[in-house]
Amino acid sequence: MSQQGVPAMSKTPSIDEEVWEQDLKERLFAKIPLFIFSLLMFTVALSFMGYEIPDALLWADFLLVFGVFTVYVVSRHLTLYVFKRLGEAVLTLFIIASLTFLLLRIMPGGPFDRDKALPPEVLANIEAKYNLNAPLYVQYFDYLKGLSRGYLGESYKYIGRGVTDIIMEALPVSFQLGFYSLILAFLLGIPLGVFAASKHNSRFDYFAMFLANSGTALPSFLVGPILIIIFCFWLNWLPAAFWDGPEYYILPVLTLGLRPVAVIARLTRANVLDVIRSDYIRTARSKGLAEKVVLYKHVLKNSLIPVLTFSGPLAAAILSGSFVIELIFNIPGIGKHFVESVTNRDYPLILGVTLVFSFLLVLANLIVDLLYVYFDPRIKLS
Amino acid sequence: MPLNSRFWAIIFLSAAFFFSGCTKKKKSYDFDPKNTLFSRLGAEPPSLDWHKSSDTTSAEVIMNMMEGLVEYNLSDPELSLKPALAVKWRAENKAQRWIFTLREGVKWTDGKSFTAQQVVDGWERLLNPATASEYAYFLFGVKNAKAYNSGKIKDFSQVGVHVNSQGELVVDLEAPQSYFPYLLAHHSTYPIRKDVVKKFGDQWTNPRNIQTLGAYRLVKWDHDKAIVLKANKDFYGGEPPIKNVVLHIVKDAQAALNLFDTHKIDILDSLPSVELKHLRKRPEYRTVPLLGIYYFGLNVKKKPTDNVLVRKALSMAIDRKEITDMLGGGQVPMTSWVPKGMFGYMPDKGLKFNVKKARELLDKAGYKDRSRFPTLKLLFNTNEDHQRVAENIQAQLKRNLGINVELGNAEWKVYLSALKSNNTPHIFRMGWIADFPDPDNFLNLMTSYSANNHTNWSNKEFDRLILKAATVTDKKERLRLYGKAQEILVEKEVPVIPIYSYVSTQLVSKRVLGYASNAMGIKKYKEMRLQ
Repeated sequence: MSQQGVPAMSKTPSIDEEVWEQDLKERLFAKIPLFIFSLLMFTVALSFMGYEIPDALLWADFLLVFGVFTVYVVSRHLTLYVFKRLGEAVLTLFIIASLTFLLLRIMPGGPFDRDKALPPEVLANIEAKYNLNAPLYVQYFDYLKGLSRGYLGESYKYIGRGVTDIIMEALPVSFQLGFYSLILAFLLGIPLGVFAASKHNSRFDYFAMFLANSGTALPSFLVGPILIIIFCFWLNWLPAAFWDGPEYYILPVLTLGLRPVAVIARLTRANVLDVIRSDYIRTARSKGLAEKVVLYKHVLKNSLIPVLTFSGPLAAAILSGSFVIELIFNIPGIGKHFVESVTNRDYPLILGVTLVFSFLLVLANLIVDLLYVYFDPRIKLS
Repeated sequence: MPLNSRFWAIIFLSAAFFFSGCTKKKKSYDFDPKNTLFSRLGAEPPSLDWHKSSDTTSAEVIMNMMEGLVEYNLSDPELSLKPALAVKWRAENKAQRWIFTLREGVKWTDGKSFTAQQVVDGWERLLNPATASEYAYFLFGVKNAKAYNSGKIKDFSQVGVHVNSQGELVVDLEAPQSYFPYLLAHHSTYPIRKDVVKKFGDQWTNPRNIQTLGAYRLVKWDHDKAIVLKANKDFYGGEPPIKNVVLHIVKDAQAALNLFDTHKIDILDSLPSVELKHLRKRPEYRTVPLLGIYYFGLNVKKKPTDNVLVRKALSMAIDRKEITDMLGGGQVPMTSWVPKGMFGYMPDKGLKFNVKKARELLDKAGYKDRSRFPTLKLLFNTNEDHQRVAENIQAQLKRNLGINVELGNAEWKVYLSALKSNNTPHIFRMGWIADFPDPDNFLNLMTSYSANNHTNWSNKEFDRLILKAATVTDKKERLRLYGKAQEILVEKEVPVIPIYSYVSTQLVSKRVLGYASNAMGIKKYKEMRLQ
């Protein structure tokens, strides 16, 4: 990085030039993540503003992120580690699928228990259709066979619809909602935390932490309706429900993002306070570095590890939908399937959403672990 | 140019490039409100295949895009039948044979003509074991239908339905059924286009593939978002006045109420019960009896509810009005069995609230010393309102009889399996909503051969009366038989304690005209207009 370059000892202009050239290269190189970040933010802005996102842009985003990640993994000799972890992930998912399959069959009540009991002839036909009359191990192996081909089966409740279809229709909506909320959480939570720590024990600190504490304490089923009352009924600015454009996104994103903002702000503040008192920060300050540089470059980077740890499960949870918020704002996301598939005993759908959530969780944790190395080079993954 | 500015210039230019290439998404359901009705579905319809769906949400959509042989006359409080695809019908052989004359000139949405054979095709598909239809039992009264559905008969021509030489539909039943035509208003008995189903398989209900012949056609089905229907210009009854119907899928009652208040929805039912106190004062508020009963069943094989005196005492010690007042939704307290709004409703029947008499009965049953009376177990499925009712009953029985009731609750499917087990609790909550507006649908429930009778109670005389009443076409005689049956059920034997008859609470926007709120909760958009 340019600030850490060693220019002063040069004797001839050619060395100076070399340094300058190297510096330029570094600066250009440093711009790549910024460029990608801008592109991503641009895509998010487009989608938020209700524009149709061109496939080319989505692919560009995906390839760039994937490319950077690959370069990152390879350059830090993490390739083997990644493959090892992916292997473990497959095993984890297999165990989760098997356990869920078993637990579902132990659970009392079947998918076709109705308040109006079905005649035995009718029930027999239905069980035959869904292969529920076969021995359990046959059903299990059939399920695994399907799973190995990426086939999750057909929903019992939504007749004739594949579980994959149901998930692929609902997940992008939850993803969108979750992604906006995550961005809100990081863009608001981290600066709030840093700022509160830098003004430690000031009025601003108290105010920020009051906000953060209330954000953690207030449940979304309270925040959502309050926002609706204020912005829909009193001010008449925003719609009360649906998911059909920017004005519809604001309230749900705020509701979902509030708690992560608060948690991240508190985590950041605590860790910044911790780091700010360490020796190397004192060194940085005594070198005469500007306070801003000390704070955002040296302190922040080292305070983000716990935030990062928290971000993995947070991302998985938030991206896989929220039952309550999707209910309050009538958003067609995947959250409801987590709850309703169980009350319906819709075995294939329960297994499907469980696997999706597990996959997201495993993936998010892997990414977080890989990022540790960037934030703290002392960490060794093997 | 300095590096930084150059960088941002590139970013800006590429952003501008993309923006110019992007199109803003259209709002999804942006129809002219003047000729569009906005309504709510309480859930995503599980299937629009009328032979496979088994829920009321799907039924609401299906009943507006399809027609049956007959349909309900919604403006008649007793919901008589009126002609639809059949112009007239008659019973022969004491209601064991029914003959339907079909309407001519009816066209499907692709222009093909409606034929009697399509009705037979529909029934064949409904009863075919491979269809695995839940409502197949609706036609089990038809000769050999049950045998065909269970695979004992492979040849459908042996099932009692055929088209005669005059093109009429002839149905032969296993036993006389005076209410048989009512079953044909139900979506499971609608005709079908075999060719369409064959061509598209499971995808035939997709808006692009489906063929219907009702007042509306399906043009859009966005899962978990909305269903859009458009008026069918070629409908045999003439093009309906409302051109578009947007059915928003809104699960949460409170969210739906918010949408009604912001004029996004015109018709709303199943209002949130906690809001009723305020909603009742609004001009858009409507309430109408719903053909359904809320009751408690008693396990007659378990001590002490095996004793009829105890059962009678329990029934007499509960003041139903106290419960309906607490719920405040306009529910009708009830001691008889057939709900309000249906012929056969006899509010005088049943054991009336009488604490003194109840105490005497319990004394007589050998529990003069109340401390010897075992604690009763009352089970209900987890739900806020059920909890309130159960707690109220617990308090009433303690207050009026001095006995203890222990409450228990379970999640719905766990609850259902508990009722089916050998260990049914003393008292359990249940409800029943009509499949068709005939008392048979309610009284059949408590016969010894009903799979829905969880009380372990059986009575030969009761069974005989119900079977007999089904064969009688004379309404007066049927009424007499159902009166006798109800006496056995709620006065003499008391395996059940009816609590109230359901009501439907609705908000209907003033701009909607011609909507006849009815006891079956049916909405026919073709009969509505917009102001």
